[in-house]
Amino acid sequence: MTKIFKSLSFAVFMALSLPFAAFADSIKIGFNAPLTGFAAADGNSARVGAELAVEQVNSAGGIGGKQLELVIYDDQASPKESAPLAVKLITQDNVAAGISGSYSGATRAAATIYQESNVPYISAYAVHPDITRAGDYVFRTSFVGEVQGRAGAKLIGEMMGHKRVVMITLNNDFGKSLANGFKEKAGDFGIEIVNEYEYSIKDREFGAIVSKAKSDEPGAIYASGYFFTAGPLVRQLRAAGIEVPVIGQEGYDSQKFIEIAGPDAEGVIITTSLDRDSADAVTQDFISGFEAKAGYPSDMVAASAHTAVLVMADALARAADESAAALREAIAGASVMASTGQISFNALGEVQKDVQIQIVKDGNWRHYAVISDTELLAPPAE
Amino acid sequence: MSYEIAVLTSMSIAILFALSLNLITGFCGQVSLGHAAFYGIGAYVAAMLTKADLALPIALIPAAVMAGLVGVLVGIASLRVRHDFLAITTMGVGFLFVGIVRKQDALGGEIGISGIPSVAFGRPGLLLLALVCMVLFILLSIYIRRSWLGFAFESISDDEDTARTFGIDVSKFKLLAFVVGTAGAGIAGGLYAHHIRFIGPDSFGFVESITVLAMVIVGGIGSIAGVAVAAAVLATLPLWLQFVDDYKLLIYGSLIFITMRFAPTGIAGIVHTLWQKRQAK
Amino acid sequence: MLAIELVIQGIVQGAIYALIALGLVLVYGLLRILHVAHAALYTLGAYIGVIIVNQGGHIIFATAVAMVAVGFVGIGVYRFAYKPLLDKPPLIALIASIGLFIAAEEIYRIIFGAYGMSFAQPPLQQQIELFKGFHLSTARISVVILSILFIGVLGWLAASTRTGIAWRATVSDAGMAASFGVNIEKVRYINFFIGSALAALAGVMVALLNNLVEPTMGAVPAYKALAIIVLGGLGSVRGTLVASIALGIIESFGTIYLGHVMDRDAIAFTFLIIVLMIRPQGLLTRR
Repeated sequence: MTKIFKSLSFAVFMALSLPFAAFADSIKIGFNAPLTGFAAADGNSARVGAELAVEQVNSAGGIGGKQLELVIYDDQASPKESAPLAVKLITQDNVAAGISGSYSGATRAAATIYQESNVPYISAYAVHPDITRAGDYVFRTSFVGEVQGRAGAKLIGEMMGHKRVVMITLNNDFGKSLANGFKEKAGDFGIEIVNEYEYSIKDREFGAIVSKAKSDEPGAIYASGYFFTAGPLVRQLRAAGIEVPVIGQEGYDSQKFIEIAGPDAEGVIITTSLDRDSADAVTQDFISGFEAKAGYPSDMVAASAHTAVLVMADALARAADESAAALREAIAGASVMASTGQISFNALGEVQKDVQIQIVKDGNWRHYAVISDTELLAPPAE
Repeated sequence: MSYEIAVLTSMSIAILFALSLNLITGFCGQVSLGHAAFYGIGAYVAAMLTKADLALPIALIPAAVMAGLVGVLVGIASLRVRHDFLAITTMGVGFLFVGIVRKQDALGGEIGISGIPSVAFGRPGLLLLALVCMVLFILLSIYIRRSWLGFAFESISDDEDTARTFGIDVSKFKLLAFVVGTAGAGIAGGLYAHHIRFIGPDSFGFVESITVLAMVIVGGIGSIAGVAVAAAVLATLPLWLQFVDDYKLLIYGSLIFITMRFAPTGIAGIVHTLWQKRQAK
Repeated sequence: MLAIELVIQGIVQGAIYALIALGLVLVYGLLRILHVAHAALYTLGAYIGVIIVNQGGHIIFATAVAMVAVGFVGIGVYRFAYKPLLDKPPLIALIASIGLFIAAEEIYRIIFGAYGMSFAQPPLQQQIELFKGFHLSTARISVVILSILFIGVLGWLAASTRTGIAWRATVSDAGMAASFGVNIEKVRYINFFIGSALAALAGVMVALLNNLVEPTMGAVPAYKALAIIVLGGLGSVRGTLVASIALGIIESFGTIYLGHVMDRDAIAFTFLIIVLMIRPQGLLTRR
């Protein structure tokens, strides 16, 4: 009995110590994402994107000879889970920095804790306006909703030339901030907002909104949402005989949207940060690498998590020393070509980059245009 | 240390929150599927006040009062509808709360409230405050259980009509249970807001109401110790279960199901049975 | 004109609610259990339907298989989850049911993937112009027709067959029914089978409308169907039908005209609370 126990405990000891031995010389980065529950699809895509970036960095020699290592926790997209996990990552796993592959609420709660502990934190795709306001240690590599909303107004009013617009707004921080940005600039581009309808993230049935929107006779529809709400919505709009252009945002940006909406997805245009037809090598490596690793085509959340890791790796390599303050300085001064374009930050830690415009053509996301108007796209600076 | 402090704080808040529902559902037999609304009211009130520079221990008082006042309204509703009708009415109150908060720009709307200040002495200070509130509420629960009030609650829980024939003022005691229970939830909510330091409408939805009800039932309806243990375990289960990765929520759901299926009296019942077996030996 | 369209959209939504809520009210009528896990059976039905169609099966065949298979799963749920809890307080069964529902959602996610599933070639998508400028897809029309059909058949069964009479006897007084030689256990099995099959039908229909089946698609029906059967007066089949359609229409107008003040759920529950404060026993009730 004791013999069995001894050999067992030896096996356990070996099993536990092996990973540590392998990563003795590694730099740890905390990663929180919703891996179970309602947001698991996005969370897992983000995780694969981040893991891909880590593999790429490590196979290129790591950071000054050290390997990059992700410590991944599931936060179920809930602030209640993400806050204690952030404490755990910082105080027990001793991560050098953190990356959020999660939604707004969870990211906002964790940001407070990273800021308080003076550990740098990058939000990959959460849109909540207050995330970077947690303090100078918190950054974001994706657009805030307002910026994308403004880009949407320019796209519809100026580039496409539609003046009568119906808005269908998702009732959450994402939809609301998009709507704010869109309304702010709509007038400048000569857009008249005929009506605005709101729906909840749980809705998949839009019969009433579709009927009413049809009677408004708009020139275009600006609808915020995610692929799982936008897919059914676009399908139902087309089924009711509404043929006008539908303009969406990065929430649509997944192959799954095209799968749900089917042929009705053709011609849908979105503002996003991933350009499928980019000539840039980093983006192309990401697109092919992701599909090979995940088994399905890349999406916005994966590209965003990938970008966040690359920005972090670049900063780790450039940091003057191993202190958190030096790492923060390095992130703030970033100028990195990543899978979602050329990344740099403003004083608040918000990203400055071009808005990519993609269109569904023959069942795939393709390049439509790019907006690089820095004045229009200026993120909030305080 | 700070991680342990954070976990203990989560536990204390959950225990307080669960015991506050236990008072309504466990002691007085009034099922509530919308208890998170009062948690939310407390959280919003306390957060607004501390952002206006009030100290949290003081801000918890109006948080409790506000939650208790709305609790009276629901209590009045409970006089009109009974049993499953009441359960669904309270569920409606929960949805109404979230639906209204979403649209109030003064409460941050969809964006919620962030930048909630930390309390004096930081995380240990908050833990201490949470522990004090929790212990006080446990003592209150024990006191009620042992007093005439506890007897009145229990008789209402058993059979309202019989209680009435005993001359118990059913309406008065029901309202009292709702006031005390919802006020307790308000305090728990105020503590929660300063623990996570970010609140939004989605934090106080139906799922939260169900979670707290599960704590009460899994602990053993009415049992103070059982409910406290269940609250502590269920609140931190997702944190402990990080290693099972993909199966976390599956295990969480299955555990709740299996406990109910094979030990319907909950943790309190299991302990009780084990104790009796030992006595018999 | 718009008003008529909104009413029709509301009826389509209401028909789906009715299919889901009917199963729930059948269970409640017999066992006094709030069967939250019913929504997990609805999701299962949707998955089975999509998988069979994508494998080349006809939609009618897929729907039939989904209904029968889920019907038997429903019997299993009763046999293994609820039967041992019948003599316990109803809250126990409610929480057990919630635990089961959470676990089921996760099982679907782990087996079928977090992204959900869609039809490769969605059937029944032809547009039919009901009146000038108002199109409805065949799927939407089918939802309404099938609901009326199944509910009609059910009503006829309950009124005119031996099983139906046994069922109604068991609902009104199980002990009395047993003493008259009704096999209560059999009645319960049939009850769960029919209720679960209807949920599966609703699942396939929703899959057709949205072309999306997700692990969490049962989350909204899980609570809204409870609200509907309470609104209908708990245990009243006719009340449940009225409540379903009423809620569908109110939500339809509500999303358009109250959308800026309240979300869809809040609109639905405001209606519920108002009704219950005026009529604490629900919209229609025999009591």
